[in-house]
Amino acid sequence: MNQAKKGRKFVLEELTEFAVNYAESLGAEYAEARFQRDIQESIILKNGIPEAVIIEENRGISIRVLVNGSLGFASTNNLRKRDVKDSSIKAYKMARAATKILHKKVSMDESNLGAARVEVKPRIDFDSIDIDSKAELLKEAYRQAADTAANKKVKIPGCILTLDTWKTEKLVMTSDGADVHSITPRAAIFTLITMFHPQRGTVQRSFDLGGTGGWEIVEKWNLPELFKKEAQTLSEILLYAEESPSGKVDMVLGPELVGLICHESSGHPSEADRILGREAAQAGETYLKADSIGLRVGSSLVNVVDDPTLEGSFGFYRYDEEGVEARKRVLIKEGVINEFLHNRETASVFRIESNGSSRAVAFNREPIVRMANTYLEPGDYSKEELIEGIKEGIYIKSFMEWNIDDRRFNQRYVGLEAYKIEKGELKERVRNPVLEVTTTGLWSSVDAVGKDLEFQAAYCGKGDPMQGIPVWTGGPHVRLRNVTLGGQYYA
Amino acid sequence: MRRDDVPPYIVDLALKRGASDVVAELHDEQRFMIRFSNNEVTIFKSYDESLVSIFLMIKRHRAATTVPLSSTSNLEKTIEDLVKIAKVTPPAELYAPLPEGPFSYDPKLLRAPRISLHPERLIGYVEEAINGALEEGARKTAGTLIATRGKTIIATSGNVHASQERSSLEISVRAFTSDVSSGHFVSISRDEEKFDPSEAGRTAGRIAKASLNPRSGNPGRFTALLGPLVFADLISQVGMVSSAFLVDTGRSFLADKIGSEVACSELTLIDDPTVADAYGARAFDDEGVPTRRNIIIERGILRSYLHNSATAKKFGVETTGNAGLISPHPWNLIVEPGEKSFEEILSEIDRGIYVTNDWYLRYQNYRTGDFSTIPRDGMFLVRNGTLSSSIRELRISDNMLRILKNIKEISRTRTWVKWWEVDIPTLAPYVVVEDLNFTKSTM
Repeated sequence: MNQAKKGRKFVLEELTEFAVNYAESLGAEYAEARFQRDIQESIILKNGIPEAVIIEENRGISIRVLVNGSLGFASTNNLRKRDVKDSSIKAYKMARAATKILHKKVSMDESNLGAARVEVKPRIDFDSIDIDSKAELLKEAYRQAADTAANKKVKIPGCILTLDTWKTEKLVMTSDGADVHSITPRAAIFTLITMFHPQRGTVQRSFDLGGTGGWEIVEKWNLPELFKKEAQTLSEILLYAEESPSGKVDMVLGPELVGLICHESSGHPSEADRILGREAAQAGETYLKADSIGLRVGSSLVNVVDDPTLEGSFGFYRYDEEGVEARKRVLIKEGVINEFLHNRETASVFRIESNGSSRAVAFNREPIVRMANTYLEPGDYSKEELIEGIKEGIYIKSFMEWNIDDRRFNQRYVGLEAYKIEKGELKERVRNPVLEVTTTGLWSSVDAVGKDLEFQAAYCGKGDPMQGIPVWTGGPHVRLRNVTLGGQYYA
Repeated sequence: MRRDDVPPYIVDLALKRGASDVVAELHDEQRFMIRFSNNEVTIFKSYDESLVSIFLMIKRHRAATTVPLSSTSNLEKTIEDLVKIAKVTPPAELYAPLPEGPFSYDPKLLRAPRISLHPERLIGYVEEAINGALEEGARKTAGTLIATRGKTIIATSGNVHASQERSSLEISVRAFTSDVSSGHFVSISRDEEKFDPSEAGRTAGRIAKASLNPRSGNPGRFTALLGPLVFADLISQVGMVSSAFLVDTGRSFLADKIGSEVACSELTLIDDPTVADAYGARAFDDEGVPTRRNIIIERGILRSYLHNSATAKKFGVETTGNAGLISPHPWNLIVEPGEKSFEEILSEIDRGIYVTNDWYLRYQNYRTGDFSTIPRDGMFLVRNGTLSSSIRELRISDNMLRILKNIKEISRTRTWVKWWEVDIPTLAPYVVVEDLNFTKSTM
C-alpha cells in the first residue's frame, strides 16, 4: 500500500470513528457509522452494438443511532467533517422526534462483534483488461447467439447485454466495538434476449451471472460458448416446444428453479423483520410466526440453508453491516423450520444472538435483514435417476415468469426450457408449463433430491428505498410427486 | 466555484478535451423518509446528496459517469478520464448530436413549492395516517412517508444552462384488520396543500375493514373492477414500455404497433410533465429539451413512443423530451377520465371481482405482454352491483394487450398513485376489464 492510500484510509477511519463518537456524545445509546464506496463500470451492448460505457462512484457515510429506543439514520456523500457532524446531529434529532410514535423500544443484541480486515483479492484486476477487449467479448457472445439462431432460421430482434464490474469498500464501526474494513470486487452479467420466428412468434430468456472476485470470474463464464448454447436452446423452444399438458403429474425441477424457490419460499419467509411486521407495507409479511421454529413445512429431504461465507459467491461477506461475523444459517432442517435470519435488532426481540444477516447495498441505505446465498442442500440422486423414477411427468429446467404473494405462500413459476417425461425418459419440449402451488404443498411433495448442486446469481429486492442486493440462489435437481401442472398459460 | 457554474465548467472542459457533445448535471437532494409498522415508527431516515452526472460523446463513442460533487481538481480528473474512456469505447449504432438550444422553459415548472422538512412536521403526517386508519377500524398500520426537496442544474454543449427545483410529499399506508385482511392507499403531492395522509390512512382502513374474514377465491375468467392502485401498476407498465429504447431491445409489447389499435377506444394515455402542480412536473429532460405533453395512446390507438435524441434519430422522429440519456422514460402519466363514478360502475357489475391492489408483476414475455401479478389487500366478489364478500389467494394471469382491449369502463374518479410498486406518478381511474383471467395455487 502506498503512502497516499494509507493516508486516505486513515482519514476515512477517523471520519467514521468521529461519526460514532459524536453521535454518542449527543446522547445516543447506540451509534453505528458505515463508510462505503462502490466504484462500478458498466458496458451496455444493445442488439450486438456497444451503447455506452458508464462509470459510477457512489460513496459516502451513514450514521445510524438509537435514542431512547428509537432508530434514526442519516447519510451524506459530503465527506467534510462538518457534514458528517451535521448528519450525526440529524440522525439523533430524527430518532428523538420518532419517539413520539414509539411503543416498543428497539435495542441491539449482545452479539460478539468483529474487529477485522477482509479483502477479496482478484487474481486478474478488472482495470488490467481494456474496455475494448471487454466490449469485444460481449460482441462475440452476441455474434455466437445470432449465428446459432440464424442457422435455425430464427432472428434475434432484441438483445440487451450488460457487463458490470465493481469494487465495494466498507468501514463499519459501532459504539459497542465493531470495527470491520472490507474490500470486495464483484462482476455480473445481465441479459434479456428475444428470439423470433415468423410462424412461431417470440420467446425470451433473461438471466444474471455474478460472483465475487476479479476478471477471472468473467473468463470462467465463457460467454461466447454460453450464449451459443442459450441461443440453441431458445431456438429449439421456439421452433419445437408444444403445448404443456395439465393436471396431476410428477415433476423434476432443475437447479435454476430450485434455487429461486429456496429464495422466495424459504429465505424470504424466514426473515425475522418480516415476521415482526417491519416490511408489511412493502415486501410484505410471512406465513411464519415468531413461534414457527419446529413447524414442519416440507418432506424430511428438504434442507435449505443460507450461507454468506461461500467463497466466490455473489452474496459473499465475512462480516455483516453491524459487524457480526457471518455464518451458515440452516433455515429448514429435514423439512422443519429451524432458524430465522436475524440482525441485531430482531435478535434482541427474539432474545438470541444475531446470525449476521444485516446488509445494505450502498452507503445511503439502512442495513436490514437479507439473504446471501440461499440453496437446497444436495442429496444422493443423479439427474438421470430422478427422471428414471417418473412414469409420466415434466422436467422444468429454466423459467422466465415467477411471483409469490406477500406472505410467501402462493407462488407461480412458468417454465421456459421444459420437457415431457415418459417412462423414465426425457421426451419432447413443452412450452410454458405452469407450476402454481403453495409453499408447504411444494416442499411436502419433494421425494428425492439430486447431488448436482449449482448456483445462479440474482439481485434480491427488499427495503424502502429498494435495495437490490447481490445473492446466489441454488440447489440440485429435485423430484416432486403428484403436483398440479397449470397447463395452458392463458386460454 | 458557484454551484450554478459547475455544469457549464464541465461542458467547456470536456469540449476542450475532445468531446463532441456533453451534458453535465448537478443534483442536490435532501430527502427524509419515515418508515412505520405496527402503529409506530420503525426508523426515521435522511439522505443528503450532491451528485454530478456527465454524459459525453465523441461522435458515436459514448461514455457517462455519476460521481459525488467534490473539488475542482477531482472534477477535472473525472472529465479527463471520461474522455479517455469514450475514446476507447467502441462506436455506438449512430451519432445523434445533442439538441441545440437555447430553449425556453415554463417558469412554473422550474420552481417548486416550498415544503417543510421539519422532523416534527413529518412525524405529524405519519401520526395522521396511522390515526386515520385506526379510526376506520384497522388494528395495525405500516407504511412510508417520503419528503424531498432538490434542485438540478443542467448545462449542455447544445447551449443549455438551466436549473429546476423539485419538491414532493408521498405517503403509502397499509392497514390491517387481521393477518390476511388489509387495505392499502396512498397520497402524493408536489405541495403541502393537496397532501392528505389522513385520507390515505382512512381509505386503507376502510378497505381493511371491508376485507375481514376473506374466503379462498375461485379461479376463472371474471369481469374485474380494478382500483386505481392496480390500474396504475398496469398502465405505468404501458408507459414504461413505450420507451423507444425498450421497444428497440425487445422489452415492449408495443413494438411495431404505432398507428394500431392497442386498447379499447375509450382509453387515452398521456405523459404530461407540464402540469405544474403535479407530482411528476418537470421543465426539461436529461438533454435539456423542454418537456411536453405526449399522447401515447389516443382513444385506443398507439400514437407515439417516448424518445430522447438518439432513439428519435433511429426511429426517424423528433425527440419527445423524455431523455433518459440511454433509455427514455415517462415522467407523469395521466389516464383520461371516463364519465361514471366508482359507485355507478360498481352498480352495473352483475358478477365480478373487485381488486384494490396488486404487486409482484412479472412477464413471461415482454414482447407479447404475457404476465402475472398478485392481488393483495382487499379483494371482493361483486354480486348485483354491490360488494358481497371478501376473497383472497387469486392471481391475475393474463396478457397486457388483451387487458387493454377488454377495458369496458373507465371512471371519472381518478387518484394520483406512486408507491413502492409503482415508480412513475400516475393519475389512474377505476376500470372494468371483461374476461380477466384469475388463477390460483393448488395443494
